Amino acid sequence: MNKKNGIGAKLYITLCFMFFYLPILVTMFFSFNSSKSLTHFTGFSFRWYEKLIHDNSIMSAVYVSISIAIISTIISTVLGTITAIGLSRSRKLLKEWILNVNNFPIMNPDIVTAIGLMIFFSSLKIEKGYIPMLLSHIAFCTPYVITSVYPKVRRMDHNLANAAMDLGATPFQALTKVVIPMLKPGIFAGMLLAFTMSLDDFVVSYFVTGNGVENISIVVYNMSKRINPTINALSTILIVVVTVILVCVNVIPAIMRKNHKSTGMAYQTKAGTFGRRVVLASGIVLVLFIAGFSFNMSGAGKKVLKVYNAGEYIDKTLLDDFEKKYNCKVIYETFDSNESMYTKLQSGEKYDVLVPSDYMIERLIKEKYLQPIDWSLITNRDNVIEHLWTNEYDPKGKYTVPYFWGGVGIVYDRNVVDEKDLEEGWDILLNEKYKGNVYMYDSERDSFMIALKSLGYSMNTKSKKEYKEAYEWLIRQRDTMDPVYVGDDVMDNMISGNKAMAVVYSGDGAYVINENENLDFFLPDQGTNEWCDCMVITKDCKETTLANQFINFMLEEDVSEINEEYVGYDSAVKSTYEKFRDDYYLGNNACAPKLDNPLNETFRYQETELKQYCASLWTKVKSHQK
Amino acid sequence: MNPYYIKEKKVSNTIIEIKGLTKNFDDQQVLRGIDLNIHENEFLTLLGPSGCGKTTILRIIAGFEEPSQGEVLFSGEDLTKIPSYKREVNTVFQKYSLFPFLNVYDNVAFGLNLKKVDKEIIHEKVTKMLGLVGLQGFEKRDVTLLSGGQQQRVAIARALVNEPKVLLLDEPLGALDAKLRKEMQTELKKIQQEVGITFIFVTHDQEEALSMSDTVVVLNDGVIQQIGTPIDIYNEPENRFVANFIGESNIIEGTMLDDCLVKFDDVEFVCVDKGFKKNEEIEVVLRPEDIKIVDLKDGQLRGKVVSEVFKGVHYEYIVQTDKRDYKVHTTEFYNLGIEVGMRLDPDDIHVMYTMEY
Ligand SMILES: Nc1ncnc2c1ncn2[C@@H]1O[C@H](COP(=O)(O)OP(=O)(O)OP(=O)(O)O)[C@@H](O)[C@H]1O
Ligand SMILES: [Mg+2]
Repeated sequence: MNKKNGIGAKLYITLCFMFFYLPILVTMFFSFNSSKSLTHFTGFSFRWYEKLIHDNSIMSAVYVSISIAIISTIISTVLGTITAIGLSRSRKLLKEWILNVNNFPIMNPDIVTAIGLMIFFSSLKIEKGYIPMLLSHIAFCTPYVITSVYPKVRRMDHNLANAAMDLGATPFQALTKVVIPMLKPGIFAGMLLAFTMSLDDFVVSYFVTGNGVENISIVVYNMSKRINPTINALSTILIVVVTVILVCVNVIPAIMRKNHKSTGMAYQTKAGTFGRRVVLASGIVLVLFIAGFSFNMSGAGKKVLKVYNAGEYIDKTLLDDFEKKYNCKVIYETFDSNESMYTKLQSGEKYDVLVPSDYMIERLIKEKYLQPIDWSLITNRDNVIEHLWTNEYDPKGKYTVPYFWGGVGIVYDRNVVDEKDLEEGWDILLNEKYKGNVYMYDSERDSFMIALKSLGYSMNTKSKKEYKEAYEWLIRQRDTMDPVYVGDDVMDNMISGNKAMAVVYSGDGAYVINENENLDFFLPDQGTNEWCDCMVITKDCKETTLANQFINFMLEEDVSEINEEYVGYDSAVKSTYEKFRDDYYLGNNACAPKLDNPLNETFRYQETELKQYCASLWTKVKSHQK
Repeated sequence: MNPYYIKEKKVSNTIIEIKGLTKNFDDQQVLRGIDLNIHENEFLTLLGPSGCGKTTILRIIAGFEEPSQGEVLFSGEDLTKIPSYKREVNTVFQKYSLFPFLNVYDNVAFGLNLKKVDKEIIHEKVTKMLGLVGLQGFEKRDVTLLSGGQQQRVAIARALVNEPKVLLLDEPLGALDAKLRKEMQTELKKIQQEVGITFIFVTHDQEEALSMSDTVVVLNDGVIQQIGTPIDIYNEPENRFVANFIGESNIIEGTMLDDCLVKFDDVEFVCVDKGFKKNEEIEVVLRPEDIKIVDLKDGQLRGKVVSEVFKGVHYEYIVQTDKRDYKVHTTEFYNLGIEVGMRLDPDDIHVMYTMEY
């Protein structure tokens, strides 16, 4: 029976370990993948490590994350420890009060802290960026240090400090030679906690940063459109570093203790090193701080252009090229959706160039956020595919220059889907032959677009009745087809051939087809969403010439080629578009989709009331998932 | 012949002088006017019940508390102006307060390390001190794993190695069992005589105070009750509190009829006390071991044995007279219920002033 128990316990522990470490191992494993897939291992390579090292934005994010984590850890550890010691000596009422207040930031949802800090910095007119991020991290890390040090202070024999002074230690020596060594486990735990909290913070950082300063989590979040194994490579490096640190932390003291006990005089040297350690720590803080500051300020004196774009939507080496060519500094920030970009603009953040989508542009024009393009500077105007200039969101053609464009269609597995069924158009998504074999794209407007088109309505209808019908279409589909609503993971899933078909953007479709030759793409005849993302200049922009030059630069034929190669959508530059259509993506139906269907439309700006109605219907569709 | 008199010759120079010392914590007065002279080479004990202010006095001398009023002079210098780390005083704390993250050697060397003494000299001094307290060979031990007695000796060594002029010991033996306590008492006394410095020793154990000290200071409620040699304190308690606190005693109200003549329980006794007013109301202290049980006919007092408890070396009897119960210690055995007589020699009777409560 004992033996049986033993096996059970071992099995349990094995399962636990697998649960904890398997995801990490998988992450590390795929960092060596030779292809872009996160689920298919195609061969061993260091490709993503090379890419990581050459990716300026990730490297600077790593720098920001780590320098902020180190500085805020050191400062909050010092502050927290002093506070905890001070607290143990103050009056009971004050003590309880402060301890309760101290729990606030820990118990508060991050978002509350984040918004509080954002408003705080805005109201003090402190420019967002490195310093506010650092201050915020110190602010939310300190309570963790206090909570882990305070119990140790309370349990400590208070006569120890007296004993030290009795033996001739000044109050400061008593602190460094007795109190701090006594509290070391607590301080250390607090320090580790602060470091991890700071290193992986997203919410607070996201709200208080600006001016192109981004930490790792922000970069990864904005990348979510297309996560690539660079992140796995980064994670692997971080995991290795953390493991090495943990090993050092656990092994070195053990070795030192051994030595210490065997000499019996190690104390003297230890006491000596404390001072040196303090100097070293302050040195690190100073260096990182100055470096961080100069990082923030680098390019001071030069003209500055602030660009706000969707994540993974530019090849960043082009930014360096632009900076060199025009002797300027580009501050580049990314967003994860048009809506979050809009929110950021509303919060008063100022940018020069934005890259929003069609319907959002319409709204920005309507709300007078934009200034007209100076066409005299757009010498590459004729490089752009002609028909992209005519559109409804910018009817007079004053504000926008097309960037990437495409349509929404269905990518399908030729081995599973019957060629004839394609004639059903969007209704193939209701064909019960493919029940349980369909991915829907988790996007409210695109899902309604499909239903409306299938019913023969305009996707920009203002009729609630038609929306209601579309809603019923979606409900029916949900109940009869068991579709899975997915985000960008759809790409990996389709490459792996997990289901027969999926609703995708044409650019994503082209990528997927390239990775799995069994797949193909089609655009339903009922019409689809023909989208276009454009470059625009905000009314806040002062460097208008530079902003126009930037837009013009992106239209250069060789520039747009490099960019297309990285982004993978259909370029607005004609030569690039054709080159990819006829070369790299030859025979790939998702590339250069035939968007000549008169039933195709582009999204228009939705009035708030309709938008809310639509959103509530979509929530119902998703919330009653079987 | 007063033995204290002889010792007084030896302990001559005052090292610490406390004048009118009071201490308030919030609205509570913990010390109420302490006047005390402490001499070089003296083993002085502060004795009193828990909470009477013993530790507070030590903490003021060591510099961890400031007096509310009054003066503390060290070799004639105002001590309150000197921060604790500069005072030539070292403390052995009530619970030792050793540094748990340092081994025995480093604990003892702590003070010398701070003074940046040469390493060789530190090594020499620490080794010598560990020898003195009987801990040679324990240098590398973890202090948290030592026995109570060993920890206590480390604490003493840690304090003494700094060669203070005065060593303060706050109930250092409180945590030890009876046997070890006895051993350590002897050892402490020996160490004090060897190093020849002043010890201020705090205890609430009267036996410990009597067996170790040159001078005992009895404290109660922040007030000094009596200062004297152990023998004085035991034999001539100045008031009911001291008599009660030091050893066991029978305390009886009586009247001083004349010099060397006292009357209590309607019987007149010859005693050795003089200088009281005629017919002054006083109190008489009778130590249980001084009362002699004799035949009924020879007794100055008579009573019945109503209780008998064996105490190891002696028996403790309660003898009931028609006025009161007397507590008597003797090695003889008496049956319960028998009538006995009791006798008191003149020097068994200690007369003291009645305490004004
Ligand atoms: N820091 C302080 N704040 C408030 N009151 C205190 C403080 N220190 C001591 N007291 C009070 O002063 C009085 C005397 O305390 P002290 O520690 O001197 O007693 P003690 O004679 O050493 O007692 P024990 O034999 O129990 O150690 C006690 O009533 C105690 O509660
Ligand atoms: Mg005490």
